[in-house]
Amino acid sequence: MNIPVEWYLILSAFLFVIGAAGVLTRRNLFIVLFSIELMMNAVNINLVGLSRLHENLIGQTFVLFTMTVAAAEAAVGLAIVAALYRNRKTLMVDLFDSLKG
Amino acid sequence: MAEKILFIIFASLAVLGALGVITRTNIVHGLLLLVFTFVNVAAVFLLTQAYFLAVIQVLVYAGAILVLFAFVVMFLNLKEFHQLEQLHGTQKWAVLVLAPILLAEIVVVVAGATWTSVGAGITPDAIAAQGGNVRVLGITLFNEMLLPFEMASLILLVGMVGAIVLAKKEDGASMALRDWTGDEEAAQAVVEQEV
Repeated sequence: MNIPVEWYLILSAFLFVIGAAGVLTRRNLFIVLFSIELMMNAVNINLVGLSRLHENLIGQTFVLFTMTVAAAEAAVGLAIVAALYRNRKTLMVDLFDSLKG
Repeated sequence: MAEKILFIIFASLAVLGALGVITRTNIVHGLLLLVFTFVNVAAVFLLTQAYFLAVIQVLVYAGAILVLFAFVVMFLNLKEFHQLEQLHGTQKWAVLVLAPILLAEIVVVVAGATWTSVGAGITPDAIAAQGGNVRVLGITLFNEMLLPFEMASLILLVGMVGAIVLAKKEDGASMALRDWTGDEEAAQAVVEQEV
């Protein structure tokens, strides 16, 4: 065990908080999707580091499923982006307020 | 020791790349910095002896997903977008204060806890003795994790169908029902015309 597990968790915390800040501050829908990918990557780092700590491979296999969900999420998210841009001609998320009532 | 130095280098590059992603106004720059972050995370996986995951990280994230993003960015022709205001007005100040607090909380908790290994015994040495990371990971994946593996294929199928249905150019009656302009009379007129 060369690299302490805390380092993985702290790196993961940095990436996750940066991703969350991106989702909450940026208006551009693309950057919001990028930030979601960043947060998923942070979770992957967590899983790999803890899998190394506990000396089994379940954590590493779970990363594959996270990547599957990320791929499906990117495909569906980009389809939504394309449909929204076709209908509204903008991608600024605060302008999508039709459900405000 | 060399591993620790490399970890710090790759980790700080990944964090810098991630900061770049959420600060660039140009989407294409953000996209390229996201690739940079993912490659650095793959390097971190390599340092952990998770070789298969490092390769998959580069192939799936830096390859497939980012090409998909780049394709849609070019498809939509967003030239004028980086001249607009990029941040939410008051929300950004709240985030600027709260995000560092959240980060500090996580770091304090993580650094203060004691981490004891369960010690399931699949150490890097044991993996090397059994034929390498890819072989052992594959055996785990197709024995203990077989049901989740099948569920993953289902998720991909649903994602594929969902993407096609959402991105398809609409024609027929569904177009009128999804009228976004808020002009209900015009939408109703279109519906009646089509009926």
